[in-house]
Amino acid sequence: MIRARGVFSFLAAVMGSALLMSCAAENFRPDYDPLEPMNRKIFWFNDKVDTYVLEPVATGWDWVMPHVVQRSISNFFTNLRFPINTINDLLQGKLKHSAVDVGRFAVNTTVGVLGFFDPATGWGLEAHQEDFGQTLGVWGVPPGAYLVLPIVGPSNPRDAVGLAGDYAMSITPFFVNQFILLGTRVVDVINTRSLLLQPVRDAKAASLDYYTFVRNAYFQRRKALISDANEGFKPSNEEDIYHVEEELVE
Amino acid sequence: MKKTSTTSKKSWWSKLLVLFCLWACMPGAALGAGGDAPRAVIERTSSAVLAVLADKSSSADEKRRKIQDIVYVEVDFETLSRLVLAQNWKRLSPEQQKEFVEQFRQHLALTYGRNVDNYHNEKVSIVGDREEKGGDWTVQSKILRGGADDISLDYRLRQKDGQWRIIDFIIEGVSLVSNFRSQFQEIIANGGPEHLLELLRQKNATGEPLKS
Repeated sequence: MIRARGVFSFLAAVMGSALLMSCAAENFRPDYDPLEPMNRKIFWFNDKVDTYVLEPVATGWDWVMPHVVQRSISNFFTNLRFPINTINDLLQGKLKHSAVDVGRFAVNTTVGVLGFFDPATGWGLEAHQEDFGQTLGVWGVPPGAYLVLPIVGPSNPRDAVGLAGDYAMSITPFFVNQFILLGTRVVDVINTRSLLLQPVRDAKAASLDYYTFVRNAYFQRRKALISDANEGFKPSNEEDIYHVEEELVE
Repeated sequence: MKKTSTTSKKSWWSKLLVLFCLWACMPGAALGAGGDAPRAVIERTSSAVLAVLADKSSSADEKRRKIQDIVYVEVDFETLSRLVLAQNWKRLSPEQQKEFVEQFRQHLALTYGRNVDNYHNEKVSIVGDREEKGGDWTVQSKILRGGADDISLDYRLRQKDGQWRIIDFIIEGVSLVSNFRSQFQEIIANGGPEHLLELLRQKNATGEPLKS
């Protein structure tokens, strides 16, 4: 059910990543953010959209929906990500993980009633969170400059290309009306946000500069996701944050 | 009817848990300054914190205070603060450094103490530990919330005066030290150390006050 058009966007993604590799920023570092003024503006815009539209809607959703239902909806959409996880497992050479992810889809779609429940995890089939951005990272594509995308949020050129790749790998039932597809997408976004109400509030309370907090957390999280997939992988000029004394010599 | 029986069962369990933790802490206490291995430090700390969280008989403020007492012993805030400020540490006067350590500690206590009431019987399991380059030690743990929702929480410890103490928390691969370092670098670059201290003071003043 992978749409034929997907093949073209996938090819475009691969070509795009080749382009990225060729012009990879050499002086790349964790907080590499040359576009900061623009990024901050888009971040500000996204935050306003979240504060005035998404968060209130998600709060209402959270208030109406029992937690079990929120979890089930989240499970349903996670289950639909199965081709993305599996293809990226394969692209990263993780055959065992890809088999587990196929098994998860089979179990959760049947026993788990179309994916609304997640018995697979209980049976020892642990989920793997993969996407094409991570695959590119495993292949050695550097993230490049930090980039805040409108509505989408924190990203970088590599992960933005990754998003196109994920779109190409995603399940799109061709027989379903476009508006219904859009509707389910909206439900997914609202439901996901409703499960993140407290963490986001905490993050805002815990940070003194929310923009930098998100930028750094995004960078670290992506790095962790990529390196767990590829033991021993470390960005070449990673700073050692635990030994300040050496750094003091300027 | 049904509800009361489950609550009493739960409080019975939590009492047992507290007793168990007290018992588990005893060898550590007996060893005293001799110092436990990093893994034992984390085992002791996390079970002590969980026991406080699970204790239905104390109020949220009491819980915060008890957890603070535990955390203040086990976390080396001085080293943590130095690492967070990195090159900027020496830009602060000794008085400013002292104030920074105190304000930063308060900030962490306030923000992370907000969630004492959101405890839903999560358990913690220590999944591994390893020595780091330079002599530090990392202990890996998992907060168990049922399958896919598990959270990985790693601790980095450093030995000082024979005692292993926590110098960083790494949540799902995101290091607290690295994260605050970025934020504070940005703030100091734009407004100097005094600006950072002012922001911390403001944050702490508006944060939920801790009643004693």
